Amino acid sequence: MIDRNHTAVLNPSNAAASSDPKRLVIYALIAAILIIAPHIMPNSYWLRIYTMTGLWAMLALGLNVVAGFAGLLDLAYVAFFGIGGYTFALLSSSQLNIHLPFMLVLPLAAFFTMFVGIALGLTSMRLKGDYLAIVTLAFAQIFKLLLLNLDAPVNITGGVNGIYSFDPINLFGIRILSPVAYAYLIWFFTIVVTIGSFRIKRSRFGRGWEAIREDELAAEAIGVNTTWMKLMAFAGGAFIAGAAGALFASFQDSVFPNNFDFPQLVIVYCMVILGGLGNITGVILGAVFLSILPEFLREYGAYRMMSYGLILIALMALRPQGIMGEIGFLVKKKVRPDKDHSDRLKASTELYYDQKGKMPETIEPKPQYSKSNQAILELKHITMDFGGIKAVDDLSLFLNAREILSIIGPNGAGKTTLFNLISGIYPPSRGSIYFEGGEITGLKPHRVVRAGIARTFQNLRLFDKMSVLDNARVGQFGRTSAGPLSILFHLPLHKKEERQTDQKAKEILHLFGARLTGYRFGQQAMSLSYANRRRMEIARALSTEPKVLLLDEPSAGMNPQETIEITAFIKTLRDVFGYTILLIEHKLKVVQTISDRVIALDYGVKIAEGTYEAVACSEQVIEAYLGRKRQPIA
Amino acid sequence: MDIYLQQLPQQLINGLTLGGVYALIAIGYSMVYGILGMLNFAHGEVYMIGGFAGWWVLHLLTRNNEVLFSAALVISLMIIAAMAISALVGVIAERLAYRPLRNAPRMNLLLSALGVSIFLQNLVLTYQGAKVRFFHISALIPDSLRIIQIGPIVFSFMRGLVIAITFLLMGLLTLMIKRTKVGKAMRATAQDLEAASFMGIDVNRMIVLVFLIGSALGGAAGTLVGLLFTQVDYYVGFQAGLKGFTAAVLGGIGNIYGAMLGGILLGLAEALAVTFLPSAYKDVVAFVILIVVLIVRPWGLVGEKTPEKV
Repeated sequence: MIDRNHTAVLNPSNAAASSDPKRLVIYALIAAILIIAPHIMPNSYWLRIYTMTGLWAMLALGLNVVAGFAGLLDLAYVAFFGIGGYTFALLSSSQLNIHLPFMLVLPLAAFFTMFVGIALGLTSMRLKGDYLAIVTLAFAQIFKLLLLNLDAPVNITGGVNGIYSFDPINLFGIRILSPVAYAYLIWFFTIVVTIGSFRIKRSRFGRGWEAIREDELAAEAIGVNTTWMKLMAFAGGAFIAGAAGALFASFQDSVFPNNFDFPQLVIVYCMVILGGLGNITGVILGAVFLSILPEFLREYGAYRMMSYGLILIALMALRPQGIMGEIGFLVKKKVRPDKDHSDRLKASTELYYDQKGKMPETIEPKPQYSKSNQAILELKHITMDFGGIKAVDDLSLFLNAREILSIIGPNGAGKTTLFNLISGIYPPSRGSIYFEGGEITGLKPHRVVRAGIARTFQNLRLFDKMSVLDNARVGQFGRTSAGPLSILFHLPLHKKEERQTDQKAKEILHLFGARLTGYRFGQQAMSLSYANRRRMEIARALSTEPKVLLLDEPSAGMNPQETIEITAFIKTLRDVFGYTILLIEHKLKVVQTISDRVIALDYGVKIAEGTYEAVACSEQVIEAYLGRKRQPIA
Repeated sequence: MDIYLQQLPQQLINGLTLGGVYALIAIGYSMVYGILGMLNFAHGEVYMIGGFAGWWVLHLLTRNNEVLFSAALVISLMIIAAMAISALVGVIAERLAYRPLRNAPRMNLLLSALGVSIFLQNLVLTYQGAKVRFFHISALIPDSLRIIQIGPIVFSFMRGLVIAITFLLMGLLTLMIKRTKVGKAMRATAQDLEAASFMGIDVNRMIVLVFLIGSALGGAAGTLVGLLFTQVDYYVGFQAGLKGFTAAVLGGIGNIYGAMLGGILLGLAEALAVTFLPSAYKDVVAFVILIVVLIVRPWGLVGEKTPEKV
């Protein structure tokens, strides 16, 4: 909806970042270490630990996708590791007398595990956090019971004895037999998974997952298909676990049920949590640390698992973001323009007006839109029944294109419920909703957003730990379509969409001037002031490129000056950019200034409709707000 | 088919015993969930520690295959010790691992509970070893009383005792919650923690009390199972915890009566399942029930479906 002519000219994206010389030095250093390391290990024992460290890191990175990026407590993860291991064992050994080449078995194991992951995800996706944990734990138990008991009547898994002695790996004629070769092979895949993790984290997928982790409902309400994305996380984690399982089986040359049991799960979780959920570098360091540390504490072996328990408890209480999270020297210091040279803080309003003059946007955009008489959104006989309480009762209303319609009414009148109904958070008990002629009743919130209706939340549901820019970028999720392959291989589609997302997000944030731009791009949403968070909510809704905006008390908690400013801004959104706006507002001054039409609700029923003056003078509205006049006793 | 019908009364008794125990464990899960909305992963370990406490009492009071006091007193002491020690463990876990996270995200709380579970399990492993401890109940009950026969039903004295004790404990809990002032305060806190605190209820005390009661019942279950199946080891808590949780979910988590009902139903279902399936798959039955309930009716049999507040 936003016309390019009206917005600020933006800097070209920082494409230079990847060829940063410092970065290249770090890459070279890592490569050198990985090449030299297997040759300088003091003995074969330490070489084995080195290789296992790579495997643990890979496993931890896989878990990081599910638990770290998407925030799903998946306790079946170790079973996926096992499925990969046993798939490899069955397809390249004498157990079933199948001898497939490694180049085929590795992808087979990974994809098969991924399908099991998707299947488990499909059955349990509707469950919330703790239920999900238990279902996955039960799944892991069933898996282990099957491993132990499927040696009779037909011997498949070998029971407690496991399966051993596999075909050697043959890569294009090179046989991987020596421990050094295994070290290279496994670390090669670890690096592949690491690069993949970084790429996926900085993509629409990464942002979508982070949004889900922060606030699932808000993520859904700005266009992230949460069910699908959670399934993708499950699939991704299972894929990596399956591949790691196959590599592990080959490296150990055997698989046993107790290789894939609860203790292994706990260890991987400790690695991920120690490193910080979602923090890729941290997770790798966590894996390295917890792989090597036990070797120095061998005489205290009995206490190892106990201490893992303590690590979990202590980290959760003291440092839930992990050891790596927010360490000062790793984060670049940004210049803060809200401080002058004497480091004195400037007032934010002062800054706002300072910057406004400097903005390249010199031509004041001219109002060009006004309301039409064509209904864009129509509600017909909508009822919402919460077990006997009718929050909205047989309500019909229409919203014309490019109109500003305000909904007023006392607390509990059903205003926010109305928004929840339109945006698809509650499916209505009865009635139907039409948008641009098509029916949208009962669509999931992300589909409603894709249709072109975006909302803000009265009680502010920003993604607090994401940056301002990322909050706006998430809005583009539903407007982009790059899939995992496109993201992992940086295909043109992904690159194009990233540029588009970046540009759109910045354009939208520039509408708010210095309040949400410049150094604020990188700030976490939770560090914004209350009024700025309200603006951020609007910016996030705008970034989904909607036609209709549902604003739930946009001026709540703002001071008089800010209220005037936001009122004017909302008017601009219609007059200049042509949005259609449905507004809930308690400040009647705001309603009076910008509304084309007003509807008053009380107990879920429409009690008045018309111009502001007509509604404000309505007998019923006055009664709803102030109560009935005492009747004179006859 | 006839053979199954003959076994039926027997299996019902078995199911009722097992179900009573599951119900005791499930109550602990449900009470904690009801008040804090958290899944206490460590509850299974609390049950296991109760089993060990009972074993130690019996072990210390047995000389040359004879108990030092009367059997009734010894059994009472075992159960009391189990309840006291489990309650203590539960309360300490609440204080150290859960209370600091009262306002933290759900996942952190779950992970902390997972940490407590791992810690307790390995604590017992380290100090008690991995070997199975046997309850020498031959010292407690004379052989003449071991088997009771009523009509076609044959059952051990222990089963009768376990059923009696579980139902006694559940009855006492119901009375406490329904009839006493503390019970009323607990119900209020479970409904709305904040509102309860505004009414002058010491919410922290209520939470501690919930952990205390839930853990004590879990500990009692541990010892009762020990008396029934005559053994305990460091790993029993894991399975029992999952079963207790399944029972709680089946009945409707957060609801104490649901937990009782769910426990008994799960016990009966398992007992009937072993008549038809190899016993190795008994546990699979429980987990399949859990997954089906969670998908079809996640609020359980008697629980209420609540819409998400936006």
